[in-house]
Amino acid sequence: MRSRIYTIIKGHFKSWYRSKSNIFWTIAFPLLLIVLFGAIFGNGSTKFDLYLQNRDLNPTTFQPTPLSGGYVNILNQTAAFNLHLVSIDVQDPIAYVKSDAQLHNRGQRLLVIPSNFSQTLLSGTKNATVQLYMDKNDQASGSLLGIVNSVTVSYAAAVAHTPDNLQVQQIGIATRNVRYIDFFIPGVIGMTLLTTGVFGAVNTNGRYRELKIIKKLATTPLSKIEWILGMVGYQMILATISLVVILFFGYAIFGVTVTIDIYTVGLVVAASLLFPGIGMVLANFVKEAESADAAANAITFPMMFLAGTFWPRETLPDIMKIIANFMPLTYVNDGLRDALIYAEPAQALTNTIIALGLAAFFLVLGSVLMNWKEE
Amino acid sequence: MSDDLSAPLPGQSDKVVQVDKLSKKYGNNIAVNGISFSLTKGEVFAFLGPNGAGKTTTVEILECLRNPTGGQARVLGYDVSKRSDRAEIRKRIGVLPQDFNAIDRLTVRENIDYFGAMFKRQLDADKLIELVDLKDKRDEQFKKLSGGLKQRVGLAVSLVNDPDVVFLDEPTTGLDPRARRDVWGVIERLKGQGKTVFLTTHYMDEAEYLADIVSIIDHGQIIASGTPDQLIDSHGGKKTLIIRDAGEEGLKQLPSGLPKAELRNAGDIAIPLHNGELTNILMGLGQTPLRDKEIEVRRPTLDDVFLNLTGRRVSEEGN
Repeated sequence: MRSRIYTIIKGHFKSWYRSKSNIFWTIAFPLLLIVLFGAIFGNGSTKFDLYLQNRDLNPTTFQPTPLSGGYVNILNQTAAFNLHLVSIDVQDPIAYVKSDAQLHNRGQRLLVIPSNFSQTLLSGTKNATVQLYMDKNDQASGSLLGIVNSVTVSYAAAVAHTPDNLQVQQIGIATRNVRYIDFFIPGVIGMTLLTTGVFGAVNTNGRYRELKIIKKLATTPLSKIEWILGMVGYQMILATISLVVILFFGYAIFGVTVTIDIYTVGLVVAASLLFPGIGMVLANFVKEAESADAAANAITFPMMFLAGTFWPRETLPDIMKIIANFMPLTYVNDGLRDALIYAEPAQALTNTIIALGLAAFFLVLGSVLMNWKEE
Repeated sequence: MSDDLSAPLPGQSDKVVQVDKLSKKYGNNIAVNGISFSLTKGEVFAFLGPNGAGKTTTVEILECLRNPTGGQARVLGYDVSKRSDRAEIRKRIGVLPQDFNAIDRLTVRENIDYFGAMFKRQLDADKLIELVDLKDKRDEQFKKLSGGLKQRVGLAVSLVNDPDVVFLDEPTTGLDPRARRDVWGVIERLKGQGKTVFLTTHYMDEAEYLADIVSIIDHGQIIASGTPDQLIDSHGGKKTLIIRDAGEEGLKQLPSGLPKAELRNAGDIAIPLHNGELTNILMGLGQTPLRDKEIEVRRPTLDDVFLNLTGRRVSEEGN
C-alpha cells in the first residue's frame, strides 16, 4: 500500500515539475505578487476601522459639542477610517469594542474624546488627552497612530492656535509594528495553498477521469483511499515547498521574519487536506475537466479576495465580511498570520482547529462523492 | 441474482470468463439484456457490435467497474458481484479502457512503472516496451507520442501485471490504418504467447483478423456467436463476383441469364454466385467488352454477416 501511495505521489510530483505553467503558478506567481504588492504598498496602509466614543457632549441636548463634532468630522474627512460610534451610555467601551469588533470582524481600536475636550481647546491653557486604545498586535498601529496624531495636532492648531494642548495617548499599543508586507506574506502562502490544492485536485480528478486514467486505476488493486492519500501527500509536499520558497523570498527581499511553530505545521497540513478536498468535491459536481477548471476559478478567486489575502478584511463592506466568515481560506490566512507574524498561539490554535475541522469535512465529502468505479 | 451458474473453483477451469444471462439496466434503459457466453483460456474473443450495443457495459462488468442488475459473471472463476472476489479479479486481469491515455508528462517507461507499481506481480518494463515495439520511445513523454504509439503504451500498461486475461476495449478506435495494423501486430504477439484476450470492437475486419471466437452483440443481445468462418458460412450469404468500374453501361453489357446483378457505389457490378456458376459466368463475360475489366471473386465478410442479421451496416465510426 505504501509503495502504491508513494508511486502516486511521485507521479503527481514529476508531472508538476515538468510543467512550466505549474512551476509558474505555484512558485513564480506568488513571488511576483509579493514583489508587486510589496513595491506598491510597502509599509502603506488602507482604510481602517476605528471605534469612537465622544464624551464631550452638550449637557442638555446630549449632542456632540461643536468642537468635538468638528474633530470627528475632520477624522472622517481623512478617508483613512471607517468610524463606528460608541454611545456615551456604554460604561466599559473597551469591552464593548472587543466584543463588537470580533462580531463584525473589525480591528479592535477605540478613540475616546474626553469630556473636557472643548473646554481645553477654548481655554488654551490645560492639556486634554484623546485616548487611542489598540490591540497590541494590530498591523495598522503605526500608520493609524500617525494619522490620528496628525489630525489631532492640526485640529488643535486650527481651532485654538495651540497645537500642543491636545494630545493623543496611546494605550495598549502593539509593541511590534507589522508592515503591509508582513501582513501580505502569510496571505500569499494561503493563496498558494488554496490554488495548488483546489486546481491540483480538480486537474487530477477531473482530467484523469476524462483521460480514463482513474478508470484504469480502478481496475487495479489500488483503492480509492490510497489514491486520495497519494494526492494529499503530494499536496503536502507542494505546500511545504511553497511555504519555504515564499518565506525565504520574503526574508531575503523584504526582511520579513516569522515564527514557525506547531500551528504553522498544523495549518499547512490542514490546508493540504482542505483545499484538495474542496477540489475533489468540485470535480465530482462538474464532470468535464474544462468546466471543472472554470468552477475552480469561480471558487478560488472570490475566496482569495474576500478572505483577507491582499488587504485586511476590515476594509471590506460589512456584507462581504460576513461572507468572508464562510470562506475556509479566511481561517488559514488568519491562522498563518497568528502563527507566523503575530505570534498569537491562542488565536492560531483556534484557526488551526477550524481549518482542520473544515479539512476533515471537505475531504470526507470529496472522498464519498468521488466516483472511483463507474457507479 | 441466481446461483445457477456452475461455479468452477478459481483457477481450476479453462473457462476464463463465464457469463450467464447477464443484464444491466440504467433506469428504464436496458444496456445488456440477458447475454450468455464463455471464453476459454488462450482464446482471442471479439465482442463485435456497433456503438451503444452493450459491449463496454459488459466488459466493464467483467472488469468490476459496474455491477450487473441480473444474471452472473465469473472471471477466472471469481464472481464479479462479490466484493472479496473482485479484489482477486483485479490482481489478475489486464485492462485497456476505451479512449485510455496514460499520464501526459511521464515517459513511456515511467508510465509502465507507474501502473506496474499498483500490482505485486510485475513484468519487466523493458520487456514490455520491446513487446509493443517502443524501444526508441522509451524515454519520450507520453504527450509527445502519436495516437498509435499512445495506444501501444496503453497495451503495455494493460500487460504490466502479467495478467491471466486482457480486456481491450475498442483498442484501435480512431487510429489510422497503419497504426491499427501495428496494434493488431501486438495483439497477434499476445496470441502467440498464449494470452487470453477479450476484445471489443466495431471493426468487422479487426474481429475477423484477430479473433478465434466472435460474438456479435446488438441492442444488448448476442445475435450470433462462433468462429469467423462459422459466422460467415452460416450468415454471410454467397460469394460475389465483382466487376470493377463497369458502371450503368456495364450492366447493359452483361450476358443474359445471369443471376440478378446490382450496381454498387463505386460503379462496381456485383453478381451473387451460386455453386458451380463461376465458370459459366466467366465464359459469358468473355464474350462481352467487360472481359477487359478487373474481375474478382469476393468472399463474404463479417460485414455481410452483420448486414444479414440486422439489416444494416456499421459505419467506420461505429454507428
